[in-house]
Amino acid sequence: MKIKDRAWFPVFYMFAATLVLSSILILFGAFTKQRVKNNEQLAFERAVLEALNVDITGYSPARIHDQYVQAVRVMDTQRPEVFAFYENNQLIGYALPLSGPGFWSLIKGVIGIAADTSTIIGLSFYEQNETPGLGGEIIKPLFRDQFNGKKIARTGIPIEFRMSTAELSENSVHMITGATQTSTRLGKFLNNQLAVWRDQMKTGDR
Amino acid sequence: MPPAKKIKDIIINGLWSDNPVFRQILGICSALAVTNVVLNTIVMGIAVTMTTALSSFTVSLLRKWTPRVVRMMIETLIIAFYVILFDQALKAYWPDMSRSLGPYVGLIITNCIVMGRAEAFANANSPGPSFIDGLFAGLGYSFVLIMVSIVRELFGMGSILGIAMPFFATASWDRWIIMVMPPGAFFTLAIIVWIARTLQKPKEAQMPGVKK
Repeated sequence: MKIKDRAWFPVFYMFAATLVLSSILILFGAFTKQRVKNNEQLAFERAVLEALNVDITGYSPARIHDQYVQAVRVMDTQRPEVFAFYENNQLIGYALPLSGPGFWSLIKGVIGIAADTSTIIGLSFYEQNETPGLGGEIIKPLFRDQFNGKKIARTGIPIEFRMSTAELSENSVHMITGATQTSTRLGKFLNNQLAVWRDQMKTGDR
Repeated sequence: MPPAKKIKDIIINGLWSDNPVFRQILGICSALAVTNVVLNTIVMGIAVTMTTALSSFTVSLLRKWTPRVVRMMIETLIIAFYVILFDQALKAYWPDMSRSLGPYVGLIITNCIVMGRAEAFANANSPGPSFIDGLFAGLGYSFVLIMVSIVRELFGMGSILGIAMPFFATASWDRWIIMVMPPGAFFTLAIIVWIARTLQKPKEAQMPGVKK
């Protein structure tokens, strides 16, 4: 009887093939792990700098990282998730990371707020999977640049999302036509998190 | 090595006369999902082509030792192996693309073309021709998808590969939002399959067993 015809051979064969192929994957995974982690960190750092309106066009990854390390600090120990940005030892603004559900999946971004704690200086995203051409337009300057210079409202909804035909005030922006779901969901978590920020700043607990 | 005639047949079959998308109607799920932007489609096409070619090669290499009873499990294992390898490589070396393709790379494992070629060809042929068969089945899939995505991105967003096109990017073209959404893929794909089948029809009628 040939070894191939024995009853245990298929089990052994399957086991051996799985062992060999999985080992290769595990090795490759371990080999690239640090790189993947660096890429994720870099995407975040890039988003923080973009939200703070730092011009980083054409910067190499290393230069972005240097800029980040040099200028960005944790705001204070009570709020390790918020970052403060300094230029020549002067406080320029804060970077507040945001995240929440979009239409298809989680959206993660950063909003930049000026040193007065109420003027928005930028908005950027580093993770999203919205429909390209519709919800995916949130990453385009046409949508993001609307936020620059807007003020967080003192009461009510911090930044109102209005229909694209509506008139705008100093604390409202236009939604994306054809991407009602993405706009509404983004507006919801963005405003929830801005409202928390507004309350913290008002009560002076920093 | 098999005769050049056979290789030529494999190539023509993969690209045209037995094209996976419009002849075998395989891989439709991803043809609908990733075709709203041309760049994503190209990368997806490359990923599927590489996976099909390499997994067909490996399946063929092991075909003499693989027991019949675990044949399909081994094929799935090999396909999953290459897909995970590709996904991880994208994450490490091309993070932007990895982010924009999202979960679709992982879903290549379930793309019927890959398994279809392993079952229909690689199981019964030597590694060289199997590799070529997989490669051209993948390329046949890619070129149909790229056609679909060019139509969708042009009509839906007024650009190709992110570059604004004359007329379509201007105000005189009212963008067809439906083209970017899933229904646009159904319409475009159906029309492309229709055109291709119409062009193929004269040949089809000559095949034995076809009722006139």
